[in-house]
Amino acid sequence: MLQDAQQVANGISGADIASLGRYIGAGIAMGLGAIGPGIGEGIAAAHTVDAMARQPEMEGALLRTMVLGQAIAESTGIYSLVVAIVLLFVMK
Amino acid sequence: MLEHLGEKLILHIPIGGVTIDVDVMTMIMSWVVIVLLVGLAFLLRRGLRQDVEAKPTRVQALLDGLIDLLQKQFTDNFSSERLARELFPFVSTLFLFVLFSNWLSIIPYLQSPTQNLNVTLGFAVLVLVMSQVLAIRAKGVKKHLASYAQPYAFILPLNIVGEFGRTLSHAFRLFGNVFGGAILIAVVTDRFAPVVVPAGLNAFFGLFVGAVQAFVFALLAVAYINVSVEG
Repeated sequence: MLQDAQQVANGISGADIASLGRYIGAGIAMGLGAIGPGIGEGIAAAHTVDAMARQPEMEGALLRTMVLGQAIAESTGIYSLVVAIVLLFVMK
Repeated sequence: MLEHLGEKLILHIPIGGVTIDVDVMTMIMSWVVIVLLVGLAFLLRRGLRQDVEAKPTRVQALLDGLIDLLQKQFTDNFSSERLARELFPFVSTLFLFVLFSNWLSIIPYLQSPTQNLNVTLGFAVLVLVMSQVLAIRAKGVKKHLASYAQPYAFILPLNIVGEFGRTLSHAFRLFGNVFGGAILIAVVTDRFAPVVVPAGLNAFFGLFVGAVQAFVFALLAVAYINVSVEG
């Protein structure tokens, strides 16, 4: 049993550990990075729906402002996506 | 397999000691978009009436509606009438190019040029230069530079970094959305569901996200230029 584990441990190289780190890092970056934009965009959409229900005639301007605000809120999520892509495909 | 995802066909052209790297696929696809837009412009122009008195043709009604729609979306956000009139062609050109680039990716074997960070960064830098030039024209060099030290002098480095951060995030937003969608489609097609699902994903990422991101890109260009000219 102990010898088997020893053999497996000897088979693991530094490159394996490095790629393990890359995969875990990409997962964490994407998972945590998606929380913020998700909450933020949800809040923006909720309040826009509120405002639209109150003043339906403002719909066009509200929609435009909502999309703009959501796009800005989304940037942090996009950054983590870029980091995850770099970890997965660029760093080898 | 997915190993081909990050691979690119790159042409190295040495010119007088400097090597210029050209991404062939992006170049071809950009030209496809350009030819498409110019061809469409010539095609639709033929449908316009020649004299003002005549009844509008169908093509004319369509174009009137489209231009009206774009004008309503983009020009409301400009602070002055003059700026809106001057910048409407620039902003709508950006919008149409990005829109057609994004929509191109729904055709198999074609890539959107906006999948390349260099393309989106080029557009973002274009917007940055445009905002600087217009701000200097509106306020003069001295006043424009002084506006970076507003409201307090010690905030100056923050404002300068913010200016470049804005441009970077402008470029990364479009690139990340389009490239992320492309990777997701590639992974799903390759590993999970090669038949029906990719069509739906293509429709969502290519048509819907593509249109929203093109609109957001143009709208943010309007906002950035407006802030520079105003502030």
